Amino acid sequence: MRNLLNFLARFNSLIIFLILEAVSFYLLANGNKYHNTRIIMGTREITRGLEEKISNSKNYLNLRDANRNLAAENIKLKNKLGELSGKDNSQFLSVSDSVFNQQYLYTSAEVINNSTNRQKNFFTIDKGTKQGVAVDMAVITGNSVAGIIVGCSENYSLAMSLLNLDFKLSARIRSNGYFGSLSWDGRNYRKAVLSEIPQHVTISVGDTIETTGYSAIVPEGVMVGTIAEFSKRGGDFYNITIMLETDFKKLHFVDIVGNLQKTEQLELEKMMQ
Amino acid sequence: MINSITRFIITYILLVTLQILLFNNIQFSGYINPYVYVLLILLLPFNVQPWVLLLFSFGTGFIIDIFTGSPGMHSSATVLAGFVRPFVLRIISPRDGYDSGSAPSMLTFGFTWFFTYALFMVLIHHTALFYLEVFRVTDFFRTLLRVILGSAFSVTFILLIEFYRRGK
Repeated sequence: MRNLLNFLARFNSLIIFLILEAVSFYLLANGNKYHNTRIIMGTREITRGLEEKISNSKNYLNLRDANRNLAAENIKLKNKLGELSGKDNSQFLSVSDSVFNQQYLYTSAEVINNSTNRQKNFFTIDKGTKQGVAVDMAVITGNSVAGIIVGCSENYSLAMSLLNLDFKLSARIRSNGYFGSLSWDGRNYRKAVLSEIPQHVTISVGDTIETTGYSAIVPEGVMVGTIAEFSKRGGDFYNITIMLETDFKKLHFVDIVGNLQKTEQLELEKMMQ
Repeated sequence: MINSITRFIITYILLVTLQILLFNNIQFSGYINPYVYVLLILLLPFNVQPWVLLLFSFGTGFIIDIFTGSPGMHSSATVLAGFVRPFVLRIISPRDGYDSGSAPSMLTFGFTWFFTYALFMVLIHHTALFYLEVFRVTDFFRTLLRVILGSAFSVTFILLIEFYRRGK
């Protein structure tokens, strides 16, 4: 027994070190898992008061841009409204969705905490399960992709930003329909990488990249960005760099998109496997 | 004695606030993220008990983790930094050793000594932190570059803060 105590006394700092590292790694492994964000959500509940204050004061700096974007979006929606009522398609506005198979539901929210300077960025949104937000819904801003919800508490949700090494999205070139996989390489917060586009396809700088909707999360045809540069370097595929449409530094008002037919699609796909 | 403790607490609050409100928001080409709160671990007195040092490091890392939403990442890096601090201090100890009651500072030991000390500690901390953040081997050299650039900036800011503290 005394030997043991001597041993502990001699190596006590090493032992405490190992214990604390074990605790840290436990937190790291559990807190950062894609679907298990409860620890983050728990701590967010504690820190959100401060975060909201920070976010509020930051928003003042972006008010001008936010207003301009909102006005532009308003005009666009009004035009859409005009189109619809012009067709005298009064049935379309009826509430019964089952007839017209409405596929996506939109709700707007505010970003209260955001980061762009890490390798795995997340942002927090001020709506949660109480407002109908659920995990695996898409977050878009204006008409471009921002992220995917990975965790919800009652009044807040945590979304994985497109600026996250773990983020993968199926995207295609609008002009010819070839699709590939979009990801972020952790370098520049304005640029992402599109891979798996074969080299026989003709592409040019400025081509629009949009989502495919294959994932059952992000709706089809949502803009991602434009091709900034591309090169043929070995292999069969292009190296394409994309200028992102979303400026994540100004991310503030976002729309959350829920897919009403997601379970149906996923069940069907599961059946085929 | 009371004075130095109060000063340390004020420094603590100031540095953590600075880190959360300012340095966490620095974006410079995706490579440079200064983490100046490491200075808090550097500034503890020489005769601090190892277990106090480790718990203090863990606590500090945990607070930063809470505010950056990355549980465990900063804590494990700071615990490592706290663990190696006695070894680093032994390696770079001046010829006549340390006065056990005092704390490391630029005023007592000069610029070169403090610079070496800060550089060693920050490099160890940042290496652990950035590799844990990426958690893959494929981007090894890019992460290495981030470690070096990030450390350079952190050390610069730490020296600036230390200069300011000396001025007071």
